[in-house]
Amino acid sequence: MDLPAVAVIPRTTGISLWEPEHAGAEVAAHQHGFRVYWNAPTREDDVQGQVELVDRVIDQRYAGLVLAPDQTLALMTPVRRALSKNIPVVIVGSPLPLEPAGKLTYVLSDDTAAGHMAAERMGKILNGKGTVAILGIDPDIAGVLERVRSFEKTLAEEYPGIEVKEKRPGLFSVPYEQQSAKEVLETHPHLSAILAVTTDATRGAYSALVEARRAGAVKLVGCDQDLLTPLMTGEIDSVVAEDTYEMGYRAIEALADERAGRPVPRLIRCAPHLVTKENLERPEIRRILGLVGR
Amino acid sequence: MPRRIQVGRLILIAVAVCSFVGLGTAATLLYLQRPTRGLPYSDSFAEGKSDEWKAFGGTWSVYDGGMRNDSDERGAKLMTGSRYWTDYVLEADVKLLGEDGDAGLVIRASDAEEGVDSYSGYYAGLRTRDNRLTLGLADHGWQGYEDEPIPHGVQAFQWYHLKLLAYGCNVVASATFPLQGGQTTTAAVRDRDCLKAGGIGLRSYSSGGIWRNVRVRSATAADLQSMLAGQAVRDITSDQPYWNGTSIFGSGSLPSHVNAEPNLAQTVVQPIGSLRMVTSSRPVVATIRGVVSLSSPALYVQDSTGGVAVVADAGPPLKVGDEVLVTGQVKARDYSATLDHAVVQLLWTRTPVAPVSVTPEQAATGSYAAMFVEVEGTFTGATRTPQGTSVLNVVAGEQAFRAVVENSRAAVLSRALKRGSRLRFRGVCVVDPAQTHSLTPFVLLLPSAGDVEVVAGPPWWNTRHIVISGFAVLLLAFIALLIYSTVEKWRLKAVAEERELLAHEMHDTLAQSFAGLGFQLQAIRNRMPANMPHVQEQLELACDLVRHSHEEARRQIMMLRAESPETAGLAPLLESCARHMLQGGDVLVEARQEGDPRAVPLRVKDTLFRIGQEAVANAVRHARPSEIRILARCSDHTVALVIEDNGRGFEQSREGKGFGVRGMRRRAATIGGTMTIAGSPGEGTRVMVTVPLRRPGTLSIWTGVLWKRMRGRGFYEQTG
Repeated sequence: MDLPAVAVIPRTTGISLWEPEHAGAEVAAHQHGFRVYWNAPTREDDVQGQVELVDRVIDQRYAGLVLAPDQTLALMTPVRRALSKNIPVVIVGSPLPLEPAGKLTYVLSDDTAAGHMAAERMGKILNGKGTVAILGIDPDIAGVLERVRSFEKTLAEEYPGIEVKEKRPGLFSVPYEQQSAKEVLETHPHLSAILAVTTDATRGAYSALVEARRAGAVKLVGCDQDLLTPLMTGEIDSVVAEDTYEMGYRAIEALADERAGRPVPRLIRCAPHLVTKENLERPEIRRILGLVGR
Repeated sequence: MPRRIQVGRLILIAVAVCSFVGLGTAATLLYLQRPTRGLPYSDSFAEGKSDEWKAFGGTWSVYDGGMRNDSDERGAKLMTGSRYWTDYVLEADVKLLGEDGDAGLVIRASDAEEGVDSYSGYYAGLRTRDNRLTLGLADHGWQGYEDEPIPHGVQAFQWYHLKLLAYGCNVVASATFPLQGGQTTTAAVRDRDCLKAGGIGLRSYSSGGIWRNVRVRSATAADLQSMLAGQAVRDITSDQPYWNGTSIFGSGSLPSHVNAEPNLAQTVVQPIGSLRMVTSSRPVVATIRGVVSLSSPALYVQDSTGGVAVVADAGPPLKVGDEVLVTGQVKARDYSATLDHAVVQLLWTRTPVAPVSVTPEQAATGSYAAMFVEVEGTFTGATRTPQGTSVLNVVAGEQAFRAVVENSRAAVLSRALKRGSRLRFRGVCVVDPAQTHSLTPFVLLLPSAGDVEVVAGPPWWNTRHIVISGFAVLLLAFIALLIYSTVEKWRLKAVAEERELLAHEMHDTLAQSFAGLGFQLQAIRNRMPANMPHVQEQLELACDLVRHSHEEARRQIMMLRAESPETAGLAPLLESCARHMLQGGDVLVEARQEGDPRAVPLRVKDTLFRIGQEAVANAVRHARPSEIRILARCSDHTVALVIEDNGRGFEQSREGKGFGVRGMRRRAATIGGTMTIAGSPGEGTRVMVTVPLRRPGTLSIWTGVLWKRMRGRGFYEQTG
């Protein structure tokens, strides 16, 4: 018998930030008797591609849609259309400006916690004193601003001795971020640490630090899981990783509850995890890095 | 019995035909689904043909005997082959065009769509990130199986020979680097729950690539052993689902594609838009920084202020989306500028620029010269140059432009496009007369055939469809007429048969009874004594009445029998009636029938016969003529009956005094006819009845006219 199919559309596929979501979704789908259709645009900024994909999913009458929107406003209409066709929708990662009601559920990354977590780590590794630059602030990525806000707030409240020296805008481009980090390092030769708030910013900052032979000396706290080896060597201090595995799992669970007529919590927040050299081998960390199953 | 035999034969024939058709279909299906159909297959792309390939993302073009994907799109695919191919080996030479990513081959592929891992199939690729040969299964999600290190690493811009074999559930990949000793690296797995069949594909992830000498042939156990060369095969079982596996992209290697040290701070970079302002007669050197919007047939770079064509003396191979630093001599033209003798420095790869959506009128102003734009228009036709370039002609409102695609995949596109379709093009807008040949205000140079999108097909209401519809309507009308005519014929025949039957019945019963009654009365009268003159007289009257009734019955029988479609018209019937009344007297009877009497409805004909009979009887009884003329004229619209005599004439003043004339008028009125009686004492009498057959302008008239035209003769054929 054909299982009911649910479509899981992340921002993009084939990268280690989103592949764990697939893993989580597959595990939950296996338990709840769903078949998963997994696809996304090949670029995270291909909003049009994601809109078209969602439209196709609506036309093909999937039993549910799990979507990590590439852009907040542009995806509103397709999601409304899906809901009007009675297709339950779970928004993953960052929210849309739609109320979580009816058949719309949010399984979100807790960006406030992420910012807080990064600030706590900064405070700890800098012993409450030093200068920090924040890289990769791309307002198009929902949640990034919240991370930065929460980071600055926690520093101000708990570690007033740490000063944010510079904040740099970001792009979906590693070389751009590398250039940006290089300029920051040249402008602030005594910088103590960098907070990179996206994957590309983390990669760019790491490359710039390696190039400037300051990796390890300038502490780097990254966001969104991507690089593992530099974590093990200590060149990257830590990464605030989104638990996309959990998001995928909880999203499919919400769809199963919806289908079975059980009450569904309309807003679920998944806490991020701080990945360090020390906890890299822990099962829950390996899981969110897409390295092992549940 | 013969009927049964016939039915049996029919059944046998039907069974034989069905079996034949069934067997034929099965044989065709078996042939089409043969796992080796189309094998061996090879494509050297030497003739620039690539019709059978289908692209899913990327910018695929035939280039120098190979298939090239310039795009850094992750998971761009080009697929072909039969989905029924099972055991085969695919090999090709592969060259990576970028330092960060992978490129390779896909086998047993199906269900492909755009997306990184959105297909089912086995993929083997060379990856620069960790210098490995990777082998795994994509099933709308990725499960990496094996990652074997390549000695001396994986180098971009070098040819490798890749081989990928599927035999049973064994999948083996090997990569050979012809230089540095030609060492071969092999990765092999046995997938217990394997994909059984599918076509082939070329795929790249981030790096782009070139593939050449693509060959597929059936694989044997010997091929498998030969490729393995004793290497162990790892078993993949279904209890290791891929969500338990390792994601290949979490391996932690760094991108190594950033070129060393572009020292941007020391370079004075000027906006591209400012190049057009250069008016100096001396050569001016300028440096710009931008993103490659087109790399072939010419290099175009743009930033937020505009675009420029770059003629580079030397430089690295570039892809669309590469960010570059270009220094060259500015050559300002009328509507655009070029950078000649340029030195191009690759900075890094980034997302290709999004096209600016403009109207053809805006593009024609030259404001978007050398920029990557999106324009819509209506396709009017395509031409192809001997060099293999396809030129699509497009109109949009008052403007016309051409879209140029420089590879063979465009030929497939131009063949697939229908004239009149609404298309959307993405390409670099060029206003340089050297490219436009001053035929159109601008041309669009498209990076690939994938940059043409069909917005809407051609409108249905074109001349061809209208002509076909017209013919269809005419044909339907003809068929409807044919059916109507046949049904009407059947109806008339049925009525005639009914009347014939009635006539027989009347003849056998009523007429015979009258005859018998007459004989009996005659016998009584003969035996009557002569002294009973009153009785004799009454008997004589009774005999006359019987004779009269008998004659009347015979006339009715004659009339009823006369109503077969083949029978003659009113005039012959009335002539026969008149002759009977005159009983061989010396009155001359002349009858003439004009037109086809079959067109006259039976009811009209009956009534006219009655009126005619009365008129003839009046003439015989009262006018004492020497000649009676009967004329019946049938035309498309009317039927007229004229009874004329040369007798004593008719006194108009007496009209209406007898029941006969009044009855005739009443009868005429019942069928919508008019009756006129002309004549005066001594000059004979002329009775004329005219009855309209159908009201003009009705559908039946029009269809009648159409029928008449189509048959080339009258619907109511003229015979007179």
